[in-house]
Amino acid sequence: MLRLFGLAALAALAGGVASVERKGALQLMLSRPIVLAPLMGWLLGDVEGGLMLGVPLELLFLGGVNLGGSLPDNETLLAAALTSMVIPAGMAAGTGVDAPLAALGLTLLFPLALYGRRLERASEARNQQLLDAALARAAQGDAAAARVNLRGLLLPFSSRRFLPGCGASARQGHSRPSRGRGTPSGPWGRRAPCAPSATSAPPPSRQSPPRRSSPSS
Amino acid sequence: MEATAAARAVRRVSTGTLARAFFRSLFLQAAWNPRGMQNVGFADAIAPALEELYPDPAERAKAAARHLEFFNCHPYLAAAILGGAIRLEERVAAGEAPPESVSRFKTTLGPPFAALGDGFFWLALRPVAALAAAVTEPFLGLGCVLVFLGLYNAVHLPVRVWLFATGYSRGEGVVDAVARAHFASGTPLLKACGALLAGALVARSLLEAGLPHRPFHVLLVASTIVVAYAFLPGLGVTRVTYIAALLGLALGARFF
Repeated sequence: MLRLFGLAALAALAGGVASVERKGALQLMLSRPIVLAPLMGWLLGDVEGGLMLGVPLELLFLGGVNLGGSLPDNETLLAAALTSMVIPAGMAAGTGVDAPLAALGLTLLFPLALYGRRLERASEARNQQLLDAALARAAQGDAAAARVNLRGLLLPFSSRRFLPGCGASARQGHSRPSRGRGTPSGPWGRRAPCAPSATSAPPPSRQSPPRRSSPSS
Repeated sequence: MEATAAARAVRRVSTGTLARAFFRSLFLQAAWNPRGMQNVGFADAIAPALEELYPDPAERAKAAARHLEFFNCHPYLAAAILGGAIRLEERVAAGEAPPESVSRFKTTLGPPFAALGDGFFWLALRPVAALAAAVTEPFLGLGCVLVFLGLYNAVHLPVRVWLFATGYSRGEGVVDAVARAHFASGTPLLKACGALLAGALVARSLLEAGLPHRPFHVLLVASTIVVAYAFLPGLGVTRVTYIAALLGLALGARFF
């Protein structure tokens, strides 16, 4: 059980770091599926399986580029979720990652690429609050107003590490994804109707764990 | 005002400060937002230089506020604009140039540099690196990840540093330097390499999937593309290819 949560936490961390690296920081392409999938495979114990998932995913999303204000489908979220579900599933089935399992996982999880774009769009809209904060501080004569910049990384990190984490834990068949990790907090659920939390619709007050407060508050 | 401005010599920003500005420029898009796009990141990146150039807090705050204006560019080529803007700020701080010149520099160069960077890095270099990795994957195994990262970052990182350094040393002359840097001529070449690699990849996968045992499947997939494109032109090439690829996947998985 402890190992399970360890795996989930590792997957979550890798997914969160990748979602930040994708656009907000560095952009060394560490968040592309061909890198992320083997990396998460290594964390979860099957690096070859990760590579087997990563190469076709990379080719599928070869043309996904972020030009100006337009956003591509979020292949990072898909790669992270797919790896963290298919690899434990392959280990549980004893077959490792094979083609049918990978195809099934891709079919089931592909909407996450579209959902990831919505998340990204939402977090960009949320960044306007950071802009407002910076403008307000600059108006008061604060020369370091733009330091709020790095706070823009918190929201993608905390929101997008959730999915790979629950993927890794759910697939082992021991725990429900909602346990211990929480569901996406209120605004996320409401902005994106296809969010997993919106379908079950628990009362919003119970839904936000205190540690995932909005970065701009 | 004129007298004091002329009395001040042009103050140079120290190397350490330049390094700090460059490091912060790696986080240019952290607070990307639809209204100002990369403005918060840019203002954050140039802040260390402003701190050194404007000892007076009021002036420094005014300069910092100027940089919160709308700014958007390609995240890598923005390094050149950042370097050039720091050079211009040195002149503004010395009173040699009006503050508007920095704004003008940023808004003029942003869009063309963005187009250049999008075409070269996003649409040419990255696909080529990914395709090269995919082609070498059967031979190198996990080494193909290093092929991808190596090919991409061996170009990306030096170019980013060079852009920043050139921007700073040339100021407004960075336009000429970037124009001579073969971005525009390298893009078609890279794209041709990408097409070649993609063709090799497709040929290899088809051979691997079909020929040894089931040549008819390859034929079926190929004829699906041709027939569907000939009789259903409204479908478009992309969709036809995807449908054929799905068919090929279903055949490959031995569903029937």
